[in-house]
Amino acid sequence: MLLLQLLANGIVTGSALGIVAVSFALIYSTTRVFHVAHAGVFTLGGYLAWSLVRAGVPDLLALAGAMAGCVVLGAAIQRFLYAPLERRGAAQLVVLIASLGTLAVIQNLLAAVYSPDILQFPSAWAGHVFGLGGLRLTGAQLATVGVDFAAFGWVMWFAHGTLLGKRIRAVAANPFLAEITRLEPRRVHVLVMAIASALVCLPGVLGPLDYGLQPYGGVTPLLTATIAMIAGGIGSLAGAFFLAIAIVVLQNLSLLVMPGEWSIGVTFAIFIVFMLFRPRGLFASG
Amino acid sequence: MTDYLRVEAVNHSFGGLQALNDCAFTIPAGRITCLVGPNGAGKTTIFNVITGFLRPDTGEVRFRGRVLTGLSPQTIVHAGIARSFQNLRLFPDLTALDNVMVALPGGFGEEPLGALFRPFHAARTDRQRRETARERLAHVGLADRAGERVRNMSYGEQKLLTIARLLATGAELLLLDEPASGLAAGALDQVMALLRRLQDDGKTLLVVEHNTRVVQQIADHVLFLHQGHLMAEGTPAAIIADPALAEIYFGGAL
Amino acid sequence: MDYLYSYLILSEIYVLLGLSTNLLVGVVGIFSVSQAAVFGVGAYIVGDFLLSGTLSFLPAVAVAAVACIALNVLITLPSLRVAGDYFVVTSFGIQLLATATFTNWTWGTGGANGMPGVPPPDLFGMQISSTRGILAVSTVAAALGCLAFWLILRAPFGRLLKAIREDELAVAAAGKGVLRAKVSAAALAGAFAGVAGGVYATYLSFIDPTSFDLDASILLLTMVVVGGARTLWGSVLGPFLLLALPQLLTLIAIPTTYAATMQQLVYGALLIAFALFRPQGLLGERL
Repeated sequence: MLLLQLLANGIVTGSALGIVAVSFALIYSTTRVFHVAHAGVFTLGGYLAWSLVRAGVPDLLALAGAMAGCVVLGAAIQRFLYAPLERRGAAQLVVLIASLGTLAVIQNLLAAVYSPDILQFPSAWAGHVFGLGGLRLTGAQLATVGVDFAAFGWVMWFAHGTLLGKRIRAVAANPFLAEITRLEPRRVHVLVMAIASALVCLPGVLGPLDYGLQPYGGVTPLLTATIAMIAGGIGSLAGAFFLAIAIVVLQNLSLLVMPGEWSIGVTFAIFIVFMLFRPRGLFASG
Repeated sequence: MTDYLRVEAVNHSFGGLQALNDCAFTIPAGRITCLVGPNGAGKTTIFNVITGFLRPDTGEVRFRGRVLTGLSPQTIVHAGIARSFQNLRLFPDLTALDNVMVALPGGFGEEPLGALFRPFHAARTDRQRRETARERLAHVGLADRAGERVRNMSYGEQKLLTIARLLATGAELLLLDEPASGLAAGALDQVMALLRRLQDDGKTLLVVEHNTRVVQQIADHVLFLHQGHLMAEGTPAAIIADPALAEIYFGGAL
Repeated sequence: MDYLYSYLILSEIYVLLGLSTNLLVGVVGIFSVSQAAVFGVGAYIVGDFLLSGTLSFLPAVAVAAVACIALNVLITLPSLRVAGDYFVVTSFGIQLLATATFTNWTWGTGGANGMPGVPPPDLFGMQISSTRGILAVSTVAAALGCLAFWLILRAPFGRLLKAIREDELAVAAAGKGVLRAKVSAAALAGAFAGVAGGVYATYLSFIDPTSFDLDASILLLTMVVVGGARTLWGSVLGPFLLLALPQLLTLIAIPTTYAATMQQLVYGALLIAFALFRPQGLLGERL
């Protein structure tokens, strides 16, 4: 039974990290920026929602408000940081440094405004425990699975079923071609950052409903998500999502044999195995 | 009798694209051989295979009888084959002289222990190598540009510098990827004269070139590549006069 | 006066770390947020040896340096094989893994409570317990580090590393071993961090995981970015400037609970500003 519960918990957290991975992969495959500051956008979403809920805004509206905030931040990072750097022909290393700086600024601003301590959401439904068979899942966990799987479904439809999604994939596949066919990669990049930031806000809010908010809590999820993206194969959104679930499930199962403090070791070991044996990922295209 | 350079039944594909298809040819020592063919014929790919940057799916490359396939680019340079790149690949923030010095073979102090514990010896040998590098620069006519950073040099000068860097490796077989492309008439003549001089110095050259005038003036022998396969070979005049090849060359390019 | 000594000693230790980070990030061009982890390994190894009395200071530092060389080469190896971006993941992963180890491996590190009572350094049988004595030790260490860095940069090895940063493929085509040169640079960077760790542990006599976490790695990166890449003076200026920052912050009366947060905030802002407007740092070359 413990095994089943760990499996269920793994799928819940995994679907959340899956959305982090999918949104990160969306950015990485179109803009080629390794957007470390995505962890900051993720964390900001949770804090915005928390503030809105505290101010008496209904939970769903608070989520929408937080998403709007993340969209603004994500688009601003692209417009005022990455785009100027690209225009100046900055090395990849410099873009990474700027991204890391942005992450540090976001995290520490949040810590300065909200204190570095863990904050809990006041929403009562989130903590309510539901019994499903022998499994026990909280309201927040159920919401996480439901919303994140729905979001994944939406992304797949968007990327493959809409004109805009196809445009974005065209820019990802060949920025030069996109330029000469008037696809305007600059605008597409801002758009992708906005969409991905809205997406990452979902797990950014729903996860902390369960286990609380921390200003520095975004780095480990992002690390797991990027490992999932690489293991799934760059360019495969579905690969990123399902690998994230697989990795988190493995992490949870490892709790049966070792204490939780070492789960980062499990994640990293998975990465090393992929680097050694399948550096291009499971579902790499081309 | 072993051939100087022999490419034997080399196949290579990128994904579904067959870039080299049973590609085979030989090159005699001391000559200038030109490699021509339409875009996508596999000219740069065969350069990459010969110099160890690509491992062919099947087939092998032999140089003076020694099998090169599977060796690292570094080892192949030491075996005596060096190549230039179509997009030059110079070190833009280093000076012309330093660009050449990087390619001079094994100096003392190129690893940390020598650099740290025998700094004076390293400096002394480096001064000697600096003279050698200056000679290479002078050889291509860039003696007075030694201290200039590459990013401040003209395109023509940069092209000459790639040849100086190639010479610095000490290799006897030089593979040049479009050494004359993008040059104005004056610079073009300068490069062609230089290639002739390299031949007189005892080097063997394999040159990818699009400009038929250049091919006609410098080539001893021409290899015509099409769809990754050697389609024809012969004297420059014979290859250029062949109407079937011209059709492929100019028809295929459009 | 003690206060000035403490600033000088810490700055000199960070000069060694700045040189280490500059070698990797500035000279070879590898993004790294795990140099603090290597620094920590050096500090804990020296702390363990001196606490148990198995080795005296210099041999302990030598062991730490060798361990850090091995560790740094191991960490850097993936960056030599796979594309640059993947190494970001490796680097973050190593740093988080190291923090988890420093915090949870109580037997070797004292865990989150830290490792108290590391004895002061001893040289040739003499304990150096005065602050001035330790300043002499850190000055000698930093000076040797600077000399080594300077020699490397002006030697043919330095030229090769610069060329590798600009175009690896062209270096391979010139017949030079790219892998070997990069591994050598990573090894040197490891040695610097290991020595810095040893001096740090014996000077503070108390070490805990917070000195070697991701924030510390970000500080090291900030020092290189602000000071400037690929120059000796950049790596010297960066640490002295950035370690003066906490003192500046105390002048504008920020509550002490927020001091660390404000520092990290400033580091982040500096990283962004320099990346955008001055990628060559104050005294360096373009990153």
